[in-house]
Amino acid sequence: MESGVFVQQLVNGISLGGVYAVMAVGFGLVFNVLKFSNFSHGGVVTVSAYAGFFISSKLISSFPLALIATILVGAATGLLIERLVFRPVRLAKKPLTYLFVNSITVAMMVQQTFAAIWGSYYFPYPEFFKRTAFSIGQLVFSGTYLLMLAVSAVVLILLTLFLKKTKLGIAIRAASSDIYTPPLMGINTDVITGITFIIAGALAGITGFFLGMTYTVTPFIGSSMIKGIIAAIIGGMGSLTGGVIAGILLGIVESLLIAELGSSVTPIIIYLAIVILLLVRPQGIAGNLYTVKA
Amino acid sequence: MDLLRVEAISKNFGGVAAISNFSMVQPYNTISAIIGPNGAGKTTTFNMISGVQTVDTGKIFLEDVEITKLPSHKIQRFGVSRTFQNIRLIEGLSVIDNVKLSYTSRLTYTMFEEFIHSPRVRKNETVLEDIAMEYLEFFDLSKYAKSKPKSLSYGLQRRLELARALMNEPKLLLLDEPAAGLNPAETRELMGTIQKIQEQKNLSIIIVEHHMDLVMKICSIIHVIDFGKKIAEGTPQEIIKNKAVLQAYLGDMGGEIC
Repeated sequence: MESGVFVQQLVNGISLGGVYAVMAVGFGLVFNVLKFSNFSHGGVVTVSAYAGFFISSKLISSFPLALIATILVGAATGLLIERLVFRPVRLAKKPLTYLFVNSITVAMMVQQTFAAIWGSYYFPYPEFFKRTAFSIGQLVFSGTYLLMLAVSAVVLILLTLFLKKTKLGIAIRAASSDIYTPPLMGINTDVITGITFIIAGALAGITGFFLGMTYTVTPFIGSSMIKGIIAAIIGGMGSLTGGVIAGILLGIVESLLIAELGSSVTPIIIYLAIVILLLVRPQGIAGNLYTVKA
Repeated sequence: MDLLRVEAISKNFGGVAAISNFSMVQPYNTISAIIGPNGAGKTTTFNMISGVQTVDTGKIFLEDVEITKLPSHKIQRFGVSRTFQNIRLIEGLSVIDNVKLSYTSRLTYTMFEEFIHSPRVRKNETVLEDIAMEYLEFFDLSKYAKSKPKSLSYGLQRRLELARALMNEPKLLLLDEPAAGLNPAETRELMGTIQKIQEQKNLSIIIVEHHMDLVMKICSIIHVIDFGKKIAEGTPQEIIKNKAVLQAYLGDMGGEIC
C-alpha cells in the first residue's frame, strides 16, 4: 500500500471506528445495567437512520440541527422500547433471557416493518456541505468522515464527563456494578434504567444518522450494529473504555483490509480474528472476566 | 408516637412461611435486636422493613406514616438505612463515592448546573465531600477515600458499610449481622462503635445478630423468633430466663448464653 493511501485509509478507519465505538458504548451501557445483550439497539439505529433521512431531506437542512433532531428521535425510541417491552419484564422479575429474546424480537420487527413499507426504496441523505473533500498536499480526506470523527469524539468525551462527574452518571455507574443495592441508597433504579435507555437511544440516533450518511438507508442498516456488539465484546463487557478502543481498532483494521484485499474477503478475516482473539483472551481487551449475576 | 411500628407482617415463599404475624415496636433512641436460629426469618423481616421484599399481609409504619408498600429507595429517603449480612458495597465506585451515593437522591441541582459547574454545585459538593470525609474519619477510613472497596480488608469493608448507611442521616439503622466474619476483638470494638453511633447521632438501631454477647450487652429490647414466629420479647435479663427461648433457640447450648 502506498503511504498516501495508507494515511487516508487510516483516517477513514478511525472515523468509522468512532461510529463503532459509539455503537459499542450504547450497547454496553444497557448491558452493564441490566446484564443482557440488547439487540433492539440495532432497531433504534434503523429508526434513527430513517428519521435522519426524513428530517434532513424534508424538514431541516442544517447538519447540526438535523443531527440533534435525530438524536432526540433515537432517545425517545430507546425509552419507548424500554417502557413498552423491557420494563414489564423487569418489574415482573422474569429471567434475563426474556429481555434478551424481546430485544431480538423488537429488532426484527423494526426491520420487517421498514422492509414492508419502504423495502424497495433507497434513501440517500442530502449533501449537507458544498465541500465534500479536503485535501492536504496529495492526501484527500472525506468531509463526512472527518465530521463523524469529530462528533463521535465530542460525544464520547461528554459521556465520560457525565458518567464520572454528575450524580446521575454516578448512579448509573453504581447500578452497573450492582443493580440491587442502589435502591437502598435512595436511588430509583427504575428511573436510572429509563435514563440509561435514553442515553443509549441517543447514541443509536448518532449511529443511525452517520450510517445513513455513509451508506444508503435500507431496513437492514441496523444489522451493522453487529460491529458495535463485536467491539463491546472484544473491548471487554463491562468496560466502556475497552469498547471504544476496540471499536476504533476494528474500524482501522477493516478500512486497511478493505483497501488491501477487497470488501468480500475482509469480513471473513475479521470474524476469524475475533473468534481467535476471544479464544486467547475471553475477557476482552480491558475487561475482567464478566460473571453475569441473574 | 413510636419510630417504627410493625403490625403482624407475614411473608410466604411458595407456601412456606418465612415469617408470620410478626409485630414489633421500635421507640426512638433505642438499640434493640432480633435474634433467632438460622432460617428463622430475621433477614426476611429486615427485607420487608427496608422494602427489598414485599409484605404479604400486615403493615409497617415509620413515625405513623405507612411504608408497607413503598419501594426501598423511598423508604431510604424517609430515613431508614441498612447494612447487609453479605457486604454489598458498590465495586465500581471509590470508597468516598460509595459513601456519597446514599445522599445523592437529596441533591437538587440539575445536570445542566453540574456541567457548567455552577456555584451552587460547587458549594454542595464541598459540603457533601466534607460530610463524607467526616464519616470516613469516624470509622478511620479517610486514608482509603480514593481506593476501591475491594482493596479493603473485610473488617474495613464492614465499617465502610456503616459509614455509607450513616451518610443518609437515618432515624432508623438496620444492621444485618454486623459482626459476621469479625474476630472477638473486632466484635468488641464494633459494640463500642454501635453504642457511640447511637449516642452521638440520636438514632434508633435494630440489630439482627448471632453473636449473643454483643446483643445482650448493648440492646435494651430483644425480640426472639423461631420458625417464622415470635416466641419472646423482653430485656436481655428476661430473655436469658425465658424457658421457650432457651429451649427453642439455644437448645443444647443453653449454658453459653453469656
